[in-house]
Amino acid sequence: MLENYLPILLFLIVGFGLGIVLFVLGYFIGPNRPNPIKGSPYECGFEAFEDARMKFDVRYYLVAILFILFDLEIAFLFPWAVALDGIGLAGFWAMMFFLAVLVAGFIYEWRKGALDWE
Amino acid sequence: MALSAELYYLIPEIILLSGACLVLVLDAVLGKEQWSFTYTLTQLLLLATAGAILFVDPGQAVTVLGGNFILDPLGVLLKVSICLVALPVFFYGHDYNLEHGLHKGEYYILGLFAILGMLVMASAGTLLTVYLGLELLSLSLYAMVAMNRDSRMASEAAMKYFVLGALASGMLLYGISMLYGATGTLQLAGLANAIAGQTDNTLILTFGLIFVIVGIAFKLGAVPFHMWVPDVYEGAPTSVTLFISSVPKIAAFAMAMRVLVDGMQPLAGDWQGMLIILSVLSMIAGNVIAIAQTNIKRMFAYSTISHVGFLLLGIIAARPAGYAAAMFYVLVYSLMSMGGFAMVILLGRKGKEADLLEDFKGLSERSPWFAFVMLILMFSMAGVPPFLGFWAKWFVIMEVIRAGFPMLAGIAVFFSVIGAYYYIRIIKLMYFDKPLEMKAIKSSRQMRTVLSLNALSLLILGLWPPLLMALCLKAIGL
Amino acid sequence: MIEQTLFYIAAAVLVFAASAVITVRNPVVAALTLVLCFFCNAAIWLLLEAEFLAIVLVLVYVGAVMVLFLFVVMMLDINIAELRKGFSGFLPIGVTVALIMVISMVLVLASGYFAGPEYVPLKHAAEYSNTRELGLLLYSEYLYPFEIAGAILLVAIVAAIALTHRRAKNNKSPAPGTQVAVKREDRIRLVKMKTEQQS
Repeated sequence: MLENYLPILLFLIVGFGLGIVLFVLGYFIGPNRPNPIKGSPYECGFEAFEDARMKFDVRYYLVAILFILFDLEIAFLFPWAVALDGIGLAGFWAMMFFLAVLVAGFIYEWRKGALDWE
Repeated sequence: MALSAELYYLIPEIILLSGACLVLVLDAVLGKEQWSFTYTLTQLLLLATAGAILFVDPGQAVTVLGGNFILDPLGVLLKVSICLVALPVFFYGHDYNLEHGLHKGEYYILGLFAILGMLVMASAGTLLTVYLGLELLSLSLYAMVAMNRDSRMASEAAMKYFVLGALASGMLLYGISMLYGATGTLQLAGLANAIAGQTDNTLILTFGLIFVIVGIAFKLGAVPFHMWVPDVYEGAPTSVTLFISSVPKIAAFAMAMRVLVDGMQPLAGDWQGMLIILSVLSMIAGNVIAIAQTNIKRMFAYSTISHVGFLLLGIIAARPAGYAAAMFYVLVYSLMSMGGFAMVILLGRKGKEADLLEDFKGLSERSPWFAFVMLILMFSMAGVPPFLGFWAKWFVIMEVIRAGFPMLAGIAVFFSVIGAYYYIRIIKLMYFDKPLEMKAIKSSRQMRTVLSLNALSLLILGLWPPLLMALCLKAIGL
Repeated sequence: MIEQTLFYIAAAVLVFAASAVITVRNPVVAALTLVLCFFCNAAIWLLLEAEFLAIVLVLVYVGAVMVLFLFVVMMLDINIAELRKGFSGFLPIGVTVALIMVISMVLVLASGYFAGPEYVPLKHAAEYSNTRELGLLLYSEYLYPFEIAGAILLVAIVAAIALTHRRAKNNKSPAPGTQVAVKREDRIRLVKMKTEQQS
């Protein structure tokens, strides 16, 4: 069965190899004359006066968490879809119940306004 | 058995899960003005679930769904008691939430899912289901503790609970993987058979057992895995502390019964020793440290730890009568702790929590009836006859002596006498000290009635202990 | 033969990346080396012919969970020097606990229990679909744990929203449904008044 994944292995080797070759080639062939003024950060001619990071907005976290949860739902859907002929009607209704439970969660988050950005 | 016939035994869980989803959707759709409606629906759903469990009770052990779900008399008693204990818990919690403005339907929704997790744990037939039920319960509890976002203490308590709980779950899973590696099966009945059949390679089994006991001890709150208990009990809003201290203990006992007794009875010699250490340390640490507390929620937390030590004594006896005594103890304990925290809720009002010991000073002058109620609760917790708490301790100690551990019984009695100090200290504060402010206690008539019934049940059932004990013995199968 | 070499390469990179996660100073580099760990892990699982789990590891763990980690790590201003204070104080306890865990693991794995012929990974035919095998089991025999997992996901949704969602305070947007349902009587009120006398 692993023979089916040989193309992916070759792809990884070629991609990795290409990346390394380009990187190494650039390191050896390109000029490297560092200079402290060249290396300092550029902020339109001024000195940097504060850190680039802004206060973490918790809405990003909420979006990412909801994505994780629905991604897991999708991950459960894949084996079900592939095995549907083998598990029959009982398996179908089992998945429908699971989806119904998560749709209840979806209705909850929609009505609570968690899907509104502003 | 056909799938539909097997699903018949799952009707209570299906009702609870579907009902919880319905409550969730209604709470979101109706908006925050009708959030008391969520409370009423929750109570009705719990009654329906308890009724459904009694309805599908098969009277003997039934294993369905590939061994994942067991319904035996033990499971039925534990599940029904979880649902019924949760009814007054939600009632007190509702009163607290109304008073303190914690207007969130999520308290009841997360509470319903926690109860579902507990039902799953009580009926677990494989280690996988035990773990899933535990995670469902724990996730709901972490969220409930953190629910009051504006309170820094609650957020800190939730952080501690979550980090320690995740670590303990990891340890439990590590132990489960070792048990699976040693025996090749996750099913509890198959586990017991495989362990009994093995003569060598007990090293893996012992290591697996150790890590599994770490997970169980964390959930119960036994020393040295008790670090989360005082901080979480003190930091969480009192309605949540009330929930955490009463109902999940029944589920943790169910988990210990399923994993240690159903799954690993042949290893009883090993886990007896480990549980003895946990039990003795819990009784010592819980009773001694509680004396130094000034915050009553923290004091109750340490007293919980000492009660857990007693509970483990019943399991140490490793005989069916011992398990029945431990079950009796956990049910009585949940009644007592419910009443204790309900008193704290009763005395508090908006903006001011009555969680310091000095808030109980002079209660007999402010309200003689509730001072009497608290007297019953404290005497019962201390183990003074004729209250129910005394009988709980009595049965457990008798079983420990019969199992051949008289030293252990001696230690238990000694430390419970030491522990009686902090309970009686509260009685002294109520009856012999002047109150800080002579304000009457404001509370609704229903709150007074339910709390009084709660305490009186300890007195009345204490006058006739065989009533409850017979139920426990029948559940174990004696 | 190829599989063995691949296993050793993946395992070596995994061990290196895992130690880099806990020793590196910069938290962003730590998170990225953790991603490398997950990729190596997926490669090892693929060698064991658990193709579905390997792909789900990359899809869910790297694609969702690590993205969340990187969000937080890149957006929060984490002061590494502050966090590392007191590290040497806890080192003895940490090392003791780690040693105990490692020793117990070594004792278990080296006990010869897992050396039997039945512990060699199975080799399947070319049309073997691990996903289908998992599906056939998951929705028939393990139905009950599957539904409980669904309940856990729902609790996570409710908890995430209950703990982090705040309605935007300055949000004055009206709901279109209520706007359309407005009737004339809600907006206009006709009042009969006596005419004022002009003085």
